[in-house]
Parts: sequence; structure tokens; C-alpha cells
Amino acid sequence: MKRLAAITAVAVISTASACGGAGGSAGSDVYTTIDGAKQIDATAPINPFNPQGNTFLGYDAMSLAWPKNDPVDPNRFYPGIAATWTVTPDQGEVVVRLQPAARWSDGKPVTSEDVRTSIGLAYTQGGTAYAVDPKAAGSAADVQVLDAKTVKVTQGANKSNLFLRNVLSTVVVPAHVFGGLLPADFWATLKAARGSGPAAEKAKTAITGLAQKVISFAPAKDVSAGPFVLERVNPGEALLVRNKYFYANQNVAPERVKVLNYTGNQQIWNYLISGKLDSAPFTAVPTDVLNRIRQTQGNEVRKGFSPVAVSMAFNQTHKPYDNVHVRRALAYLIDRSQVTKVASPEAGTPAETTTGIHAKSAKSWLGDGLGDLDAYQVNPAKAAQELKAAGMTQQGGKWAMPDGSPWQVEIHVPASFSDWVSAAKAITSQLNDHGIDASVITAADYTLYLDELSSGRYDIGFWLMALGPSPYNIFQRIYGSANGWQLLAGQLTRVPPGTQGNWMGGPETLDGVNPGTLTGRLNAVSPEEQRRIVGMLAKVTNQELPVIQLYDYVNTQFVSTTRYTGWPSADSDVLRLPAGVWMQLGMIKKGGR
Amino acid sequence: MNTVRRLTGHLARGIAMIWVVTTISFVIIRNIPGDPVMGQYEKLIEQGMAPDQAERATAALYGFLPTGSLWDQYVGYLNGLIHLDLGQSLSTPGAGVATIIGSAAKWTILPVLGGTLLSFLLGVTMGVYAAIKRSGKLGDVLSISGSLLHGVPQYVIGLLVTAIFTTLWPILPAGGPVDIEYVPGFNAGYLVSLVQHATLPVLTYALASYGGWILAMKSSVATVLGDDFILAAELRGLKRGVLFRYIARNAILPLFTILALSLGMLFGGAIFIETIFNYPGLGLLLVNSIGARDYALMGGTFLVITVAVVAANIAADLMYAVIDPRVRSGGAA
Repeated sequence: MKRLAAITAVAVISTASACGGAGGSAGSDVYTTIDGAKQIDATAPINPFNPQGNTFLGYDAMSLAWPKNDPVDPNRFYPGIAATWTVTPDQGEVVVRLQPAARWSDGKPVTSEDVRTSIGLAYTQGGTAYAVDPKAAGSAADVQVLDAKTVKVTQGANKSNLFLRNVLSTVVVPAHVFGGLLPADFWATLKAARGSGPAAEKAKTAITGLAQKVISFAPAKDVSAGPFVLERVNPGEALLVRNKYFYANQNVAPERVKVLNYTGNQQIWNYLISGKLDSAPFTAVPTDVLNRIRQTQGNEVRKGFSPVAVSMAFNQTHKPYDNVHVRRALAYLIDRSQVTKVASPEAGTPAETTTGIHAKSAKSWLGDGLGDLDAYQVNPAKAAQELKAAGMTQQGGKWAMPDGSPWQVEIHVPASFSDWVSAAKAITSQLNDHGIDASVITAADYTLYLDELSSGRYDIGFWLMALGPSPYNIFQRIYGSANGWQLLAGQLTRVPPGTQGNWMGGPETLDGVNPGTLTGRLNAVSPEEQRRIVGMLAKVTNQELPVIQLYDYVNTQFVSTTRYTGWPSADSDVLRLPAGVWMQLGMIKKGGR
Repeated sequence: MNTVRRLTGHLARGIAMIWVVTTISFVIIRNIPGDPVMGQYEKLIEQGMAPDQAERATAALYGFLPTGSLWDQYVGYLNGLIHLDLGQSLSTPGAGVATIIGSAAKWTILPVLGGTLLSFLLGVTMGVYAAIKRSGKLGDVLSISGSLLHGVPQYVIGLLVTAIFTTLWPILPAGGPVDIEYVPGFNAGYLVSLVQHATLPVLTYALASYGGWILAMKSSVATVLGDDFILAAELRGLKRGVLFRYIARNAILPLFTILALSLGMLFGGAIFIETIFNYPGLGLLLVNSIGARDYALMGGTFLVITVAVVAANIAADLMYAVIDPRVRSGGAA
């Protein structure tokens, strides 16, 4: 028995030793990271059109160009497969010139035909620049191959100022692998689809009918134009190796990239604490965990602009939230600094006020106008005035509805969003301190939460907003489909509250302004007009408070200087791009401290 | 002839049971609130994708949503099952549900089977000792350890072993099934990596279920110790080893049924363990499919679990007859 125990102990120690730093075994030529955009599924095809597909943007999947993290301008890019591009002032024509030395990992050159095929495939998936419907704003009307390395994409009649951005975001796939998915008469069918009448409808159906075929396509192996190519994948990790034909191989330091799967933030934290990751994506981190991550040698934090904010949104078809005075009263009672300190101290900054815009973008968009807006500093006296103006009554120290019935503020959040749950609890605590009976109700998961929110079951729910940098994207979250304005095929329509996803239920006009119409115009007007409209929308949002902006997110990423150097600095305009793009740009160098 | 009739009866009941459970789970799954496309869209927004890009990325998913009335969908589903077609996944569009489940099942079998057998062997052996030495210190220690571990939830044990072996003393990998750097196959690097990655899930599963086995076995042995044949064996002066075998063989009978059912349940995966260790088995697959409202994948996973449990029930019934002559001969059990 003793002998058996001794043998077992030796075996355990040997196994442990064999692991030799399971927490940090990566060699100097391996770059270890996590793709925050998706979980790895080994059964998924190597296909960028598949949302779960085993291609990794910036490593083996390449866009024409990479958008810079600019707080205001959505049309600034770093080169990708496109070396240069030109665009007419109205964005009517975009001419893209490909990298002269670009080659696929099987040695074949990347050509204009690859771009044209990729655009054809994108049409089958729908979307903004490649919508089949000719009336859709910002859709491409024509794709011309000018020469082997030059492509011209022409915008349709219904212009959008996001056309360049959408064209340059096109992911390019090899025509000799994916081209067979498009029927020989595809471009003729597309032309017919952009007409009118029954023939056009039939052609549209034919094109959208290809969507499932395209999304399900599973190439036998990865053919990449990026710096890496997928070698193999298992359900927990993917291994990418260098593409020897990559056009800027001299810029790329790592020989291999290992992408780890994750099922929750805590796994990313564990990997970081054990020093296994060279870089990690944006993840919410409690302060104590952040401190532990920082203690690991080499780990550093990079913070930058993240065009997302979180708000408390009202269903204005429910009483008393249809009354702006009630919404303002709540805004005067919520201490946003305290809420942020409790909920997201490392990855959030308290909203300076409610404008609909992330504070960093708001300064650029609004300038001095920002100071004219109500900051909604905590002011219980003003809150009481507003509640009285709304006809609310006080009974035994508690605020009640105008008819004297109890007022129960219920704030809904998904249980899986820990920072939202903490924020909601902090808010209810503050409201209870001011005589408002408030409670938090959690939904089992995000999908259920969204379903119940959009079906109008909640009075108040948390809502992501301020999605920049495009001003249309910013205000579309408040004055878009969630509030009854639907932009379909270039036509803006208004649906009644409580129908077709209009759960916010705000009025069609606010102070004589139709915010949905103004938001819809943001895509099509000049920069000067955009600035004027943004100013109007920010003002009306600040006064009418369809939402109360709570905190603006901060992009908090982690890098390790143990094996590599050259990391983007804080607030760098590449910070939100995949690390594969940093490598393409020649930033990442071997040899850490 | 009797055995064939018995087996036929079991199979008929099993198929009926599978049909009932499949029908109930189909109705429940199709009525779970939540729009998978909206969920995917907002998830992309949350990850920082622009609304138009997110719209484009989710638009094609509409084509994978089930259409038609609930009855039509049900008839289509049953028709697919008859042809062994579990449908297409929504969360991994284009991938067959059977392929995905097959891929996940192999990762569940290794840790759960390993953990179950390890805990069974340890628990049963220690349970016999705990019963025989119940008035001594060893018995107390074994009983207390069993009660303690039985009371601690799987996920707490999982988090503890993760903290110990991946952070405080980082000698084992924190997650995943195998290091991707090793080429899959019968090579030392791959196999060692496989074992390393499975160690913590197996350990967690074994620790979490060990308590139940030891307590059940101790109770069963305590009952057997009072039987007349044990007294007779002692009076006949049989050796301790022989006596131990007498006790163990009789006391273990009720535990075989539990073991068989546990092996059937292993296809349900160990949801918490697989989530904590990012181990890509059926439990994690089930959780992810529910989160994504992937109806076909949920249905397929439930079906596999149902079939496994029903099959394990039948196997337990048949096995019991084999290992207990009293049942086989129709005598009192």
C-alpha cells in the first residue's frame, strides 16, 4: 500500500512537472490571445460570413481597411488589403487600390476579382453598403474592376456618408475558393434586382436565397491574405501560423498565434493572472481582480475610448414615466459618480450629463454647447419640485402616484451583466433614501431580457447607447426602432408605441422637433449639417430624458510586456482593433522585459 | 425466451418514454421566451460593433429560424428524427446538430466517466471502511469527509481547485480540452496534454460525487453487517478478506443501479464543471444553446440525454438481474 502511494505521488509530481508552467508555457514565438468577439466552435466552418466561423479578423481574415478609433470621424482608416483609396466628396464613388504584393496563403495573388466576388457574397447577406434594395440608403449600385489591383464601387442614388466606411469594412475572401457560391449569372441577377417590378422581386429572392448557402460553406482549409493562416482548431483553442506570402511579413514578429476560447470573464482574468496572455480583449474587471492582474509581472493596462455608454431607459407608455417631470426628478436623485464607483470603477466614467453621446465625443460634437445643458447634479430639492410638478404626492414619507396609489419603481436588468446589476442596486438604494420605493428585477439571461424589454413589459430597463463614432449610430439607439422610427429600404416610417419593437414609446415630436427624422438624416447630410443636428438632438435628449445616461464605458485592455513590446499607448486609435492589425502595422516586437 | 420478452418490453417502454420526453421538451423549447436574432444583434452591439455591421452580421440568421405553425414544426422535427436528422444549428449556422453534439460528447465522456468511476471506486472502498470502522477514528474521518464533500456544490469545488492549481500553484491548465500546439493523434505530447487538461475537471467531478458514494456505501454496509449470513460467516471463522468480500458484494448491489443511472446522466454533462473549466462538453453546449435560443441544438442535446438515461435505466434493470441471482430466479430481491 505504501509502495503504491509512493508511486502515485511520483506520478503526480512528474505530471505536474511535465506541465511545466501550464500557466505560462508560451514560447517567445507564440502570441497568445483571446478573440472577444466570439467563442471558438471547432465545428464551425472556416468562413468569415458565418458568425461563428473559424476565421479571426486581423489575423487570417482581412478587411480592405481598418477603422481608426476616432471619437468623431467614422471615415478614418489604416490600410488593410487596400493600400490606398480615393473617394469623391459626396462619397458617390470609392476607388480602391489593393496592396501590390498581396498574396493568398496558397501563393495566388489577391486581385480585384477577389474583391468583386467578396462584394457579391456580401450582397447575399444583406446589410448597408450591399443591400439589394436600390432604395436603401448607402447601398452600392455598381462594382467595376478597373484593373487587376483596382476596383471602383459606386453608390446608388440614395446617398449615405457612411458609404466609404462600409465599403472599406468589406472582408475579402479568395474568389478561387468562394467564387463557386455565386451563380454564373449573379451580376446580371443583381442588376435585375436593382430594378422594379416582378422580375426585380424574383431576382431579389434569388440573391437573398443564397444567404444560407454562403453562410454554411465550409472550405477544406484556410486560404488567408492576412499575416496568419489557420493551422488547426479544437473546441478550446485555435492555432494560426505565419502566412509566408503576407504582403508585409517584415512587420510581423510572432511565428504563431494561439487564440484561446473563453466562456466567461473570469477565465480571461485567470489567464491574465497566470501570465498566459500576451493581450486580452476588453473585459469588465472588478478593482480587486484588476489589482491581482497588475501584480503579475509584465501585465499592463491600456485604457482608451470606447464608444458605448449605458443608460436607464424609460417606457413612456407606462405611467408615471410618460411625464418628463418624473424622469427629470429621477435624474436629479441619481448620483452617477457613486453608481459608477460601485458598478464599473475601472471600465466606466460617470456620465457628465445626458446628451445621448459618449462624453469624449460630446466635447467634439457640442463644444461650448455642452455647458448650456442641464448637468443633472444631485439635487433632492429640485427632484421634489419636479415630482410635485408631475402631480406626485407624498404619503408617510414615501412618494406616491397622483391618485395616491403606491409608486413602485422597478428597474430591470439581465442577471448576467454584473455591472448593470450593481448599478441598478446602487440606484434603487439612492432612490429609497429619497422616499421612492424602488427595487431591482433581474431577467434570467440577456436574450430573455431583450425579449421582455422590446415587448413593453418593463417600466425601466438598462440600455446600451452612444455607439459612435457615426452620429447616426449614436442617436439611432434612442430615436431608432426601439422608439418607433424604422428605416427600411431608405424609407423612414413611424410605428405606434407598443408595436413592432417600439418599447420606448416616446412622442413623435419633442419641442417641435422630430428626433427620429433628424437621426435618419444624419447619414446623408454634410458635416456642418450633422453638427447642427447633433446639437439639436443632444439638447432635446437632455431636456426630455427618454433615457438617463449613467456611465460611459472605457475600453480597458491588458497587455503583457513579458514576451513582446511595442504595445499601443493609452487612447491610441488602434486600441480597439485586433492585435493582428497591430502586428500588420509593425507595432509588436519580440523580446520583453 | 423470458429474457427476450423482458428486453422487448423494456425497449417498447423506453421508446415510448423517449417520445413523451421529446414531445414535452419540444413544446417547452419552442415556447422559451427570447428572440435569438435580437439576442445575437445586441450581443454584437455590446461587443462594440456598429449597429449597421451588427445588422448585417445577424440578417442571415433569419433564414435559419424555424418557420410554420408549432404543429408543422413538430411534425417536421419527428420526421427528421425518424431519418436521424437533428436539424441545423442556429448559433453555428450551417453546422448539423448531430455533428456538434458528436463533437461535444467525446469531451464529456472523458471527464465525467473518469470522474464517476474514480469517485465510485474510492467512495465504495472508503464506504466499506467507514462502516466497518464506524466506531473508530478512521470511520469518523471518512464519514465526515464524505458528508463535507457531499454538501459542497460542484461549482465551489471547481472554483477552489481552479484557484489552487492554476493560480496559487499553477501546475495545471486553467481551461480548454487540449493544447492546440500538439498535433492530434497517438503521440506523447498530445496525450499528456489531454490528461493535463482533463485532470481538474475529473478531480472536481470525483470530489463532488465521492461524498455521495461513501455515505451510500457506508449505509448499505451497515445494513448488511446486521444480516444473519455475516454472523454465520464470523462464527465459521472465515478470514477477514473473505468476510470483506461477502460484505462488499452484497452491499454494493443498490449502488450499481445508481452507478448505471449516473452513467446515463453523464451525457447531460457536468454543466458547472464544464463552464468553469471551459471544457467543451455537452453541459457547456446545452448552456450555450439555451443562451442563444438555438432550438434545434437544445432539442438535440435533450434528446441525447433522454436516450442515454432511458438506455441506462434499461441496462440497470438487466444488469441487476445478472449480478443478483435472486432477481434472475424470480426470488425476493
